[in-house]
Formats: sequence, C-alpha cells, structure tokens
Amino acid sequence: MKHWFQQIGPIMIPPVIFFAVVLLAWHLVVDINEIESFLVPLPGEVWQVVQEKSVELSRATWNTALAAVSGFMLSVVIGTFTAFVFSQSILVRRSLYPYAIFLQTVPIVAIAPLVINWFGNGFQSIVVVTVVISLFPVITSVTVGLTSVDRGLRDLFEMNRASRWQTLLKLRMPHAVPYLVTGARTSSGLAVVGAIVGEFFAGYASDHYGLGYLVLQSSGQLRTDLLFATIISSALLGVMMFALVTWVGYQLLARWTYAQEQA
Amino acid sequence: MVPLKYLLSILLLTVGLVGCGSAPEPSPSSRELTKVTLALNWFPEAEHGGYYAALVNGYFKEEGLDVEIQPGGPGVPIIQNVATKRVMFGVANADQVLVGRNEQADVVALLAPLQMSPRCIMVHKGSGIRRLEDLKDMTLAAGSGKAYLEYLKTQVTLENVKLVPYAGSSALFLKDENFAQQGYVFSEPFVARREGADPHVLMVSEIGFNPYTSLLVTHGDTISAQEELVAKVVRASRRGWQDYLANPRTVNAYIHEVNPEMDMESLRFGVEAIQPLCLPENMPPNELGVMSLERWQALSNQLKEIDWLDAQLDPATAFESRFIEAVPGS
Repeated sequence: MKHWFQQIGPIMIPPVIFFAVVLLAWHLVVDINEIESFLVPLPGEVWQVVQEKSVELSRATWNTALAAVSGFMLSVVIGTFTAFVFSQSILVRRSLYPYAIFLQTVPIVAIAPLVINWFGNGFQSIVVVTVVISLFPVITSVTVGLTSVDRGLRDLFEMNRASRWQTLLKLRMPHAVPYLVTGARTSSGLAVVGAIVGEFFAGYASDHYGLGYLVLQSSGQLRTDLLFATIISSALLGVMMFALVTWVGYQLLARWTYAQEQA
Repeated sequence: MVPLKYLLSILLLTVGLVGCGSAPEPSPSSRELTKVTLALNWFPEAEHGGYYAALVNGYFKEEGLDVEIQPGGPGVPIIQNVATKRVMFGVANADQVLVGRNEQADVVALLAPLQMSPRCIMVHKGSGIRRLEDLKDMTLAAGSGKAYLEYLKTQVTLENVKLVPYAGSSALFLKDENFAQQGYVFSEPFVARREGADPHVLMVSEIGFNPYTSLLVTHGDTISAQEELVAKVVRASRRGWQDYLANPRTVNAYIHEVNPEMDMESLRFGVEAIQPLCLPENMPPNELGVMSLERWQALSNQLKEIDWLDAQLDPATAFESRFIEAVPGS
C-alpha cells in the first residue's frame, strides 16, 4: 500500500493541489465580483449540474466518443496509407501534397452542408467531418517518417541490393513508427473537436445526441453551468483519447524500434 | 512613368469609392447628437425594417440621436451584449429575454413590433401535412437549443420524426419531399418557392407558442438612469415601424444596400408577410408595439413547462410598457 502511494503520490499530488487552488480562485473571483451566472457560473453550480445531468452528459460523451474514435481510426489508416503512397516517389508527393494541405485549410463550416448533402444526417457524416479535421497530422508525420531515413542506412540497404519493398518494410516503416505515434497523438485531440463540430451540423437532435448538441442546447438557454459541464466532458474525452493513444504508442515503440527514447 | 500613373488613378478611385460608401455628411447643426448603438439579432431583413425606417427617415435624428445599427448573424449574443452593456440597445425575441433574466441578465423589453411570431415549420405541399399535429415519419431540420422546439415536443407526438440540426441551408428540403424545416414565414418559404418548390407553412403560433419578436431591448439600469434617452429611442423606433409597414420602398432599398443577400423582391414579399404579424386582427396602427402582461405570463408558463425557467421568475419584470403608452398614436 505504502509502496503504491510512494509511486503515484508525486505524480498525482501537484496537479490535484493545482486543481484545488484554481477552483478556489474561480469561486472567489465570481463571488466577490458578483459576476452574473450567464457569464461565469460558480464551480459549485457546475458540479451540481454535472450530478443532475449525469445521465445525459455521459450518454452524450459516449456518442461523441464513438464518432471521435471511428473518425480517428479511419484517419490513422487513411493517413498512413496516403503517406506510403507519398513516400514512393517524389513526383507523386509533389503532385498530391498540395491537396493534402487543402484538407488542413478547408473551412469545415463551409463544407459541412455539402457533407450532409452527400452522406445524409447522422453518424456517417459526423465521422466524415472528424476525418477531414484529424487526417492531416497523420499524413504529414508519417510522410516525414518514411522519407527522412538516414542516408547511411539507405546506402547500406542499397549496397546489399535490398528491393524497394524490403526497404519499405524493414527500414522506412520502423523508422516511421515514432512519427506515426506523434501524428496520431495530435490527431486524437483533433478528432474530438471534429466530432463535436460534426454534431453541430450533422448530428441528431432527438436521440443519439452527442456533446455538440448539448453545447447548442445549453447556449440557447444561456445555461453557462451546463455549457461548462459539457466543455469539461469533452476535455476529459480528449485527454482520455490522448492518453490511450500515447499508451498504445509506447507499446508500439517498444516493439518496433530499437530505441525508446523518442517516446 | 506608367506604373505611377496607374497607381495614382487607383488611389484616386479608391478615395472616390470610399467617399461614395461613407454615410452622408452630418448637417452642420449646433445640436450635439447622442451616439447610440442598436445591435440586430440577424442579418438585416424585413424583421428589422422599422428600425431601419427610423434611421433612413431621420426619426432618430429628430430625437437628437445618432444611432448606429449593427447587423447581426448566427449566434450573435444579443442578450449577453446588452446585459454587459457592450451595446445599449438590441433586438431579441421574448423567449430569449425571459431565459436571459433567468440567468441574471437584466434585459428589459421596450417595444414589440412583431406581435405574432413568424416562426414556422415548412413542409412540402405534396406531403399532405396541414397541421403540426400531423408531422410524422419524416426528417425535421430545426435549430438545436431553441425554446419553440422543446415546447413543440411537449405538444405534438412527432411520431417517427428524425430531428436534425438546421444549418441555414434549404438544400436538403429542396431535394427531399419527406423533409420539413424551420423558418420565418417571410423568408424561407419565399426562397423555397423561388427555387421551384411548393412549400406549405405551419405556424408554430398555432400551438399557442407565440413570443413577441424583434423586440427592442435594453439594460434595466439604462431605463432608470437614462429614462429620457430610452423614451426617445422607443418613440423613433415606433414611428419607424408604423412608417415601414405603410411605405417600405426606400427602406428596403437601404436594407438591400447593407445586406445585398436580400434582393428587393424578397424584401417586398417580406414586408407583405410581416404586416399581419405586426398588426394582427385589425389592430389599429397606433397600438403598434404594445405588450401585455397576459402574453408575457403565458410565454413564461410555457417556458417553465419545459423547465427552461425557474418557478419564481416574474415575467412582469421582463418588459416596460410606459414608453409606448406615453406616445399618443400617430
């Protein structure tokens, strides 16, 4: 027991203390300045609404999580595949890369109505929006990973007459794994944002609603306490996805690469 | 040499254009005009016509006011901006005023140009649906977080109706016979008809949910501290509305200028459709904009029914009628 606490304690105690200080400061600032509840709620009010609406909040978080995870996994698969294609020839890369950047810069608000027109309302459209938002970091990171292999190692493979396929499998891919993990971590956070934005436009308002719907619902009612609770839920979801991806990344790195120091 | 000439002409042209675009020179008068801001809840449309009429016809100026009308758009926080005094006056709907007061936003309604709510659900005529009660087996696009929708849910069964968010485009409505969407009666149905659809309009006010619309609102403190100013703004706005309903042409031209999205034809249709909402059932023009406690009470009860208001909220605090009553009808 003591051993367990000694390990976890130093990691857990500082953020917990920081959290308590922030809560206290928040409460005092709102209370002393008599800030109206439509601007900033008291932490206690947020906690109360979390308890009152725990069922709605957890159900909405679950629905958003489903869309975010699906979109994220698709992004990793599509992004990695695209990067493989990019890594095969500089000509391909030069021809297609500008269009990958297009993904990053396209204003999602502008294309959301199109996405709904093409895919209809509901889960599939939310996932499409999520992929559009979270795909780019995977493409860039993995492309860099596949193409930035050390010159000496490449010469070594060439000297031994390794085929293009062997070079990809034995040299480029292991080298790209840390980059994939980095890209995926960025992408996991964006996937939550993507799912919520997707729900703004394409989600269902009746049943199966997600956090995006709760955001609109609470701002329509000027319920800042519920809005805060929703934001906290989505932040927790983002942190959980990030932690999960990081953990999976560690496992991958341990297996695929010789050194773990990149993690 | 040539580039310089070009540069000069561009410069001159720019200066010229800027000159054209700016407001007409204020007439040299010894009287100082009081600067006032009025923030709209949407892009300038027929539902704001009366306020623009007061500006264009100089009614604000006659009261010694220099009013700047700020166009709004989706999600513009009117109640919050008025409650924090970032803007002095705003345009909002009655349900938003009550919901705001419930969250300690001291916003008070002064004038209710649209007595009847223009809120409607638009269906295809071919669907055979003629009443809100008949809405079933279809997709309904409606804004999330809107009070009317929550109230509608308590009043009709909406059997097998898929509710989806309304993103502001009628494209899905146009291509799907089995699709319904929200709208304002003077706007979306007009657009749908122009695009070749044959819409049928179901008014939400028919189920009794009928908040005053395009209300002139201000902060409670402004009413007590600057009573004179508030009276002036209400008086000029009311004149503007009375004039707009009778004589909308020049005002529509101005609205078209500040919001080119609205063409003259849409605006002409809009003002025609707005007329019976402002002056329903032979209401004489000199009563334009009046508010009654019964109406506020009824709306407050409906919002309490859907749990949007606390039980102790008093709707009598949400509006101030004395500035309207002080004006003899013109």
